[in-house]
Amino acid sequence: MTEMNDAVAVGRPVAETKKRGGERKPSNGKGRRNLEIFILSAPAIILFCCFVILPIILGAYYGFYQWKGFGTPSENGKFVGLQNYIVALKDPNFQQAILHTFEIVIGSLVIQGPLAILFALLLNQKFKGRGLIRTLIFVPYVVSEVIVGTGWSLLLQKKGAVNQILESLGMHGVDWLANPKVAIWTLLLLISWKYIGFAVILMLAGMQSIPEELYEAAKVDGAGFWQIQKSITLPLLAPTLRIWVFLSMIGSLQLFDLVYIIWGQYVSTTAGVSTMATYMVREGRGAGNYGYGSAVALIIFVISLIVALTYQHFVLNRDLDGALTDKKAFKKRKKRQTAEDEALAVAMEGVK
Amino acid sequence: MKLKTLAAATLAVATVIGMSACGGSGASSDDKTITFWHNASAGEGRQYWENLAKSFESANPGTKVEVQAIQNEDFAGKLQTAMQDPASGPDVFMSLGGAKTQEMIDAGQVMDLTDKISDTVKTDMKTTLSAATFDGKVYGVPVSVEPGGMWYSKDLFKKAGVSDVPATYEDLLADAKKLKDSGTDAIALGAKDAWPAAHWYYWLVLRECSSEVYDKSVQNHDFSNECWVNAGKKLQELNDLKVFNDGFLTTTAQQGANSSAGLLANHKAAMELMGAWEPGVLKDLTPDQKPMADLGFFAFPEVAGGEGEPGALMGGVTYFCVNPKASQTSIDFVNYMGEKKNQEDYAKAFSTIPASEPARGVVTDESLKQVIEYLDKSPSMQLWMDTALGTNIGNALNAAVVNMLSGQGSPEDIVKAMEDAAQKG
Repeated sequence: MTEMNDAVAVGRPVAETKKRGGERKPSNGKGRRNLEIFILSAPAIILFCCFVILPIILGAYYGFYQWKGFGTPSENGKFVGLQNYIVALKDPNFQQAILHTFEIVIGSLVIQGPLAILFALLLNQKFKGRGLIRTLIFVPYVVSEVIVGTGWSLLLQKKGAVNQILESLGMHGVDWLANPKVAIWTLLLLISWKYIGFAVILMLAGMQSIPEELYEAAKVDGAGFWQIQKSITLPLLAPTLRIWVFLSMIGSLQLFDLVYIIWGQYVSTTAGVSTMATYMVREGRGAGNYGYGSAVALIIFVISLIVALTYQHFVLNRDLDGALTDKKAFKKRKKRQTAEDEALAVAMEGVK
Repeated sequence: MKLKTLAAATLAVATVIGMSACGGSGASSDDKTITFWHNASAGEGRQYWENLAKSFESANPGTKVEVQAIQNEDFAGKLQTAMQDPASGPDVFMSLGGAKTQEMIDAGQVMDLTDKISDTVKTDMKTTLSAATFDGKVYGVPVSVEPGGMWYSKDLFKKAGVSDVPATYEDLLADAKKLKDSGTDAIALGAKDAWPAAHWYYWLVLRECSSEVYDKSVQNHDFSNECWVNAGKKLQELNDLKVFNDGFLTTTAQQGANSSAGLLANHKAAMELMGAWEPGVLKDLTPDQKPMADLGFFAFPEVAGGEGEPGALMGGVTYFCVNPKASQTSIDFVNYMGEKKNQEDYAKAFSTIPASEPARGVVTDESLKQVIEYLDKSPSMQLWMDTALGTNIGNALNAAVVNMLSGQGSPEDIVKAMEDAAQKG
């Protein structure tokens, strides 16, 4: 507690010195700084407005029309109010797609999370061939989705290589891609295989930023390997884990390419692997219903926004404080950090 | 510091300019230069259009045709974007067909050619011109006609002891069983692309529904007549025999040896229901990359008790439209496409049936000749059902047929899917 206060107390005069330094030439320094901020952020802000904000606004506008994409909605479309949104939310195919998407969000977290931590733990040890295995685990993540999708869709055909290998081993393969009971698991497996490399790399980086002294201290105190991991690695890996969960969720919510390549634009619903994005493309662009598609896009946007903001508010904000929030939150963070420091101290006690 | 500020300012300005520059596209600036979009992005087809543009330029000194080949899958999207402002769109472009062309006409993006097409086009193409005619006005010049039907391997039929091609649907079911018992997949089906599976349903509807009911249903999107459900039931009968290739749900139509066309080309399946482009597709998929030697064709069989016109066909017509802002040169160019010599070259380059009737003598492929025979006998040719209904209902229909074939829906669900889709567009 006292230490923290000291740090802040030391911090303040520094800031004030800076300010005082600025007072000597107030107009010049401040104006230039504002100009610099403006110029340096202008490209990013312009891009953000043009390619994020504007499309959302336009999408919302198109969503009110039944419009085929020819001409302008007001001239060649029909204003239908909220009908597109109602039809979409009532469409069992869309409800299915939302369900599948959340199955994928949760499934990837549950499958990839523990596996990635285990792999990272393993790869954090020193052994022969570590570099090779690290690379191999990361390879699927680097390969393009199109190649992965095409490759696996050929391998997993009912009469494809995988089933033929199983047959030669005396087993009966299932229809991995077309059987609606199996397909979603196939997809989850592929996603895990494809993206676990990313999770492992993140976790590894997180683990390497944990100070070696803690481990040494724990060892001196006679803690076993698993106890060390449980009491030191996991708690200190938490910020990395939280960020990974966030990135994984966002990626899963937007999942499109793998499904689209393996199942094409028509079969995904039949096979039970349609996602929100494939539904949007099929019913919007594919069916030429640009108005309806825009409404679906907006619904997806709102769903993703709610998920992201909820997660950020309840889980992630402890990592992002200061970057996104104001002074009030800074105080909050201070409190929480103290609490965490205490928790860490307690954990260390536990190790002892 | 000053330099940095300057550099940053330059960057900002460049970004803004760069973004606004994205807009413009290849609009022709003068009356003699035209831009022309087609979808033959490879092979002989692409070469044909290049040659045609050159010969047009030398026949009409001073003109210039800028040819752009656009990947088929991207074509509709790109055209739609470019035509948001017809002034910046292509002058001559391949039509999207059916309901989509109707939508473009409604948006004022297609030129009315009724009084502008040449007499050659009017007389030589009178049977196919109807596909490019909307509300009595002509909006395009046809180049090819592609009716569908059954393509089969004569060898595999012989091996299974099927001597005559089936004349009725009941015969087809029996023959399919025989073929299956002989150890091959009887029917290749590329259901991943949905439409190849849905073609079975289109044809059965065409056979089940009387022509008045069919026309009215397609026009008013009213599918309440019983024949729409009956067609689904007939297809279910075929599906119950399990005569389609294994894993058809994830089989594509045309890509590679594992596609449905590839199965037929490599004698792994005995027949396929497909449009008249089939010989051209098979040609690239046979083991020796040559036309399939034992390929045969027969029309979709009649259905006992069905009310459809005997011999009625279904197919597609490819035609080219003109931008309403385009000049006389563009009109001359589409008329030039319709001339007999150019139509003959077209038929050769694309291995298909030209729209121009006098040019059809150039077709040498045996199976295509058979198609022409059926075409001459046929009382009428309907447009592919999904094209006629528009992509909105058409896609829902295609997906619903696949759903039923995979065992997850009933014939009634197909009709319901079409009615539901009508709400979205």
